[in-house]
Amino acid sequence: MAYSEKVIDHYENPRNVGSMDKNDPQVATGMVGAPACGDVMKLQLKITDEGIIEDAKFKTYGCGSAIASSSLVTEWVKGKSIEEAAEIKNTDISEELALPPVKIHCSILAEDAIKAAIEDYQAKQDTQKG
Amino acid sequence: MNYYELFGLEPNFNVDEKQLSDVFQRLQKSMHPDRFAHASSQEQLLAVQKSSMINDAYQTLKTPLKRAQYMLELRGVDMPDEQSTVKDTMFLMRQMELRELLDDVKHAANPDDALFAASQELDSEYQSLFSELQVQLAQQNDDANMAASEHLRKLKFYQKLQIELDRIEDQLFEL
Repeated sequence: MAYSEKVIDHYENPRNVGSMDKNDPQVATGMVGAPACGDVMKLQLKITDEGIIEDAKFKTYGCGSAIASSSLVTEWVKGKSIEEAAEIKNTDISEELALPPVKIHCSILAEDAIKAAIEDYQAKQDTQKG
Repeated sequence: MNYYELFGLEPNFNVDEKQLSDVFQRLQKSMHPDRFAHASSQEQLLAVQKSSMINDAYQTLKTPLKRAQYMLELRGVDMPDEQSTVKDTMFLMRQMELRELLDDVKHAANPDDALFAASQELDSEYQSLFSELQVQLAQQNDDANMAASEHLRKLKFYQKLQIELDRIEDQLFEL
């Protein structure tokens, strides 16, 4: 199966690989995994008090499409508000990367990672408020 | 007729591998094309179909995780889609660590030892999940079935890690 040029570009030059301190109150962490392929994805967002995502990092163990999907997502969410980021759909990702049908689940994983990170952020906000 | 019935086995998760393989040989022999050389083309076709079902049944019953999946299907458990996401953070954190451990094996000063240690670690975690799965499947109630289905999803990650470890071993020793 041939990867699209965009997938290869993200795979060979992944953007924003890395980790942030998950205990930092401004950092939200989303962890998701896909049993079908064993892929594991960690997406971290640094969110300002105004609810703007100022930085994003990812670490993904998986195939090229999973890495490309998470890399693309970190580029997309930067500068967005949480609400805007929550609107990113897996179809946006799979279209941008021209993923074949068997790799759609990689884009679903990336969408779910954003959602999981936002949930983590909201849970953190709630505990801070007490 | 389900696979257990086809093999004349009680629908239990634990199966006797020897018995399974004996029944398989016997069933395959009974459907062998030579036995149908003079049969009508319809009978020949049926024998081929039956033979293929026997093969599928054997592969399913022989492989523990496939067997677990099949049992849950037989019990009508509503299992999450293969592609649906696992969100158990603790579990996934551990998966990340294990992936990192496998990465380290590649660069270890003594890859032999590192490989062995990693393999032991994967094995022991797999076995503990697997033993829990056996207990859950034996209980045969809704809660246990749901728990089993969740365990099965987790075990698939370990299966994947094992494949990854085998690949690293091949690379290291260029087998």
